[in-house]
Amino acid sequence: MSDWSFKELEKWDKEICKVGRDLGMEWYPIEYEVIDYHEMIGAMAYVGMPTHYRHWSYGKSFERTQTMYNLGMEGLPYEMIINSNPSIAYLMKENPMSTHLLTMSHCIGHSHFFKNNRMFAETDPDNVISRFKNAAKRINKYMADPNIGVEKVEAALDSCHAIRYQIPRTPGIKRRTLAEQREDLIVRINRGDAGVDEFDLARNPIVPEQNLLLFIRDNCRNMPEWKKDILTIVERESQYFLPQAYTKIMNEGLACAGHYKIMNTLKLPQEYQLAFIKLHNQVVRPHLGRINPYHLGFHMLQEIEKRDGWSAVIEACALHNDESFLRRFLDYDICNELNLFSYSFKRQRRAHTIDSVSSKDGWKSVREALITNVGLNSVPVFKVINLGLNDALYLQHEHDGRDLDIPTANKVLNHIANLWDGDVMATTILEGELWEF
Amino acid sequence: MSTFRKHDSSADRSSADRSRHKQKIEKAIKESIKDVVAEESIIGQDGKKKIRIPVRGIKEYRFVYGNGEQNKQAGSAGEKDVGQGDQIGRQQPKPGQGQGREGKPGNEAGEEKYEVEISLAELAEYLFADLELPDLEKKRFRFITQEKPKRKGFRLQGIRSKLSKKETLKRKIKRKNAAIASGAYNPDEDERFPFHNSDRKYIHSKPKPKENTSAVVFFLMDVSGSMGNDKKYLARSFFFLLYQFLNHQYEKIEVVFISHTTEAKEVTENDFFRRASSGGTMLSSALELANDITQKRYHPNAWNIYTFYCGDGENWPDDNSKTIDLYREMLAYNQMMCYTEIVPGKPSGVNSISFFGGDPFYGLWAETDVLTENNFKKVKITSDSDIWSSFKKLFGGKV
Repeated sequence: MSDWSFKELEKWDKEICKVGRDLGMEWYPIEYEVIDYHEMIGAMAYVGMPTHYRHWSYGKSFERTQTMYNLGMEGLPYEMIINSNPSIAYLMKENPMSTHLLTMSHCIGHSHFFKNNRMFAETDPDNVISRFKNAAKRINKYMADPNIGVEKVEAALDSCHAIRYQIPRTPGIKRRTLAEQREDLIVRINRGDAGVDEFDLARNPIVPEQNLLLFIRDNCRNMPEWKKDILTIVERESQYFLPQAYTKIMNEGLACAGHYKIMNTLKLPQEYQLAFIKLHNQVVRPHLGRINPYHLGFHMLQEIEKRDGWSAVIEACALHNDESFLRRFLDYDICNELNLFSYSFKRQRRAHTIDSVSSKDGWKSVREALITNVGLNSVPVFKVINLGLNDALYLQHEHDGRDLDIPTANKVLNHIANLWDGDVMATTILEGELWEF
Repeated sequence: MSTFRKHDSSADRSSADRSRHKQKIEKAIKESIKDVVAEESIIGQDGKKKIRIPVRGIKEYRFVYGNGEQNKQAGSAGEKDVGQGDQIGRQQPKPGQGQGREGKPGNEAGEEKYEVEISLAELAEYLFADLELPDLEKKRFRFITQEKPKRKGFRLQGIRSKLSKKETLKRKIKRKNAAIASGAYNPDEDERFPFHNSDRKYIHSKPKPKENTSAVVFFLMDVSGSMGNDKKYLARSFFFLLYQFLNHQYEKIEVVFISHTTEAKEVTENDFFRRASSGGTMLSSALELANDITQKRYHPNAWNIYTFYCGDGENWPDDNSKTIDLYREMLAYNQMMCYTEIVPGKPSGVNSISFFGGDPFYGLWAETDVLTENNFKKVKITSDSDIWSSFKKLFGGKV
């Protein structure tokens, strides 16, 4: 039996919100949906969205989560909240009151982060729910259309999903059309800017294009409208989630630091207090051999608060993303205290071994290793460099020292060729030498 | 102030995507099942035994970095004391050393190692559910029938032992009531109302055909020196498929393994596939033994009998005519007899005449041409990929 009622939730919510406001937090109103565990797994499969287009991969994700949960290998997240205005969050019916209290305090931190962090400025949280709903409707319509059908829509989505992260990594920068790029270049040539010789007016794109989805949409001949729409839908969804990927550590850090402060300010009854401490410690514990963003974010923000006060925490959370945050605040002391290390796979030993530990001379390379894996930094960058004869698409991998996994890259290139419906060439660097696919 | 509400929709939103995912898995299973069939070694196992099937084609791909020294990751060590060069996690096996079959490298790099575990019974479902075998039930599965008497109502004539007391009594009561109504009998005055011959009713029974759903499968194999391991391996895969298929069709199935050189022996499954003998080849010996066992243990009236033979086509020439005669005799009561020749390495397109023609020693394939009975089949297997098509040919499906 549950030990809580809606009335009680409302009563505690009032107090939590008051403490949150006193902490200088400012968030979208939150709508809590109380759901059961089955619905929770469902919500997780569809990245929390109340409506989302259909695709088998979400079914796969559901099955996976459910199996793990049933086997007891994985707990369900006790919180899930959407970057929308109002923010939609989920409370799991089966959880006890103490967990709900922590969840509610935690959600305030997330909603504050969504509303105030500059990475999120372009995510349009007022309309995101209806945008997803419309996208789902349109895709359903295409699936129901006898001229298109499930198979074709699914194949297009499969291919789009393969390159869903091949989008520019900085939010809020407007994509320039070819005509605009040309105009720009002409202005610069006329002005006699340095370096303009590198660019060729006849090329498409003039500047290498990182947004594969939209480049294909705009330059593919004979692409039917529905397919263009699907490319647009997938691209917009990626753009929407990009800031969350790039602020995972900070976002979770603030939510944890927030719930910790709120819960400690509230006058909790004894039995809640103990349950809270237990759950909190579970959430922010280090995961051996991996990075737990809750753990890292919470400790870093605690450290900032210790040094410069809570207002410094709020400020940092408005300005930074994970990459700049780690560069600015992750120092030797924190690295050392959290006992961070970097590792990689060694072919000769056929095992992963530790490269650096957080010693005086090692901690910087540990931080670098960490930074190369935050957000989409772990996803290789491909750019369209030219549209060749007979509409051959030329792609180039921007090699940053890390070699690609060639077999998977081949599979992805097949997907790109499916979308493009023509020749796709790509190059990368493998073991120091040029590699052509 | 936040708002709270109960989730109002009871619809299971992911069900459509889950079933779609399942369909994809099933499709993938069907595609890789042929490989599994060629690898599996079990025949006499029950349906609960689990098999792992690699599933391809439902992985989602993205560009990723390779597993190498440049691709550094970060982790936290918690309370543990760690130092440079420490190994984390397990050492990976050398490439090429893996489960897989001997001499065959592990999974191709980049292929997802996604495996599902299914039971043999499910495997059979997958294998045979979609197999387009149109007239299969009618043609190949004339289940042996037996007649058994079944009760079918009552009659006025019959033998004493079939008298139905209940029905007889009912008739008597009817007659009595009629007599009372007509005034012929007064229960208060007359003493008794006796049975009459015409009251008698007898149970009637009629013979009814009953389907027999048990089958016995004879697996015969040449284990003489010329049957190398790769030939046996092909034979095993083929037998596995046959066994699974028949097991799928019949309620009860028994298997007899007979290996032979110049003389035949009934052996266990294990010995059947593992033990090698040297010596010549006389197929008739195995057929004789199968014939004997049938007469003793599996009467053709009660059992559906299948006999499958695998050999490499070599047989003592003297033995050929005896073999043919035995085949003729046994075909009379077998549901199906199959002669399988295993010639690895030869493309299946090779004409049997040019291959067997010149040498009288290699004659069985051509010799069996005289057997024109419908329930006699012969197939030739040259490699893994032939197994499935041979199987389909055998049971009349689309090749």
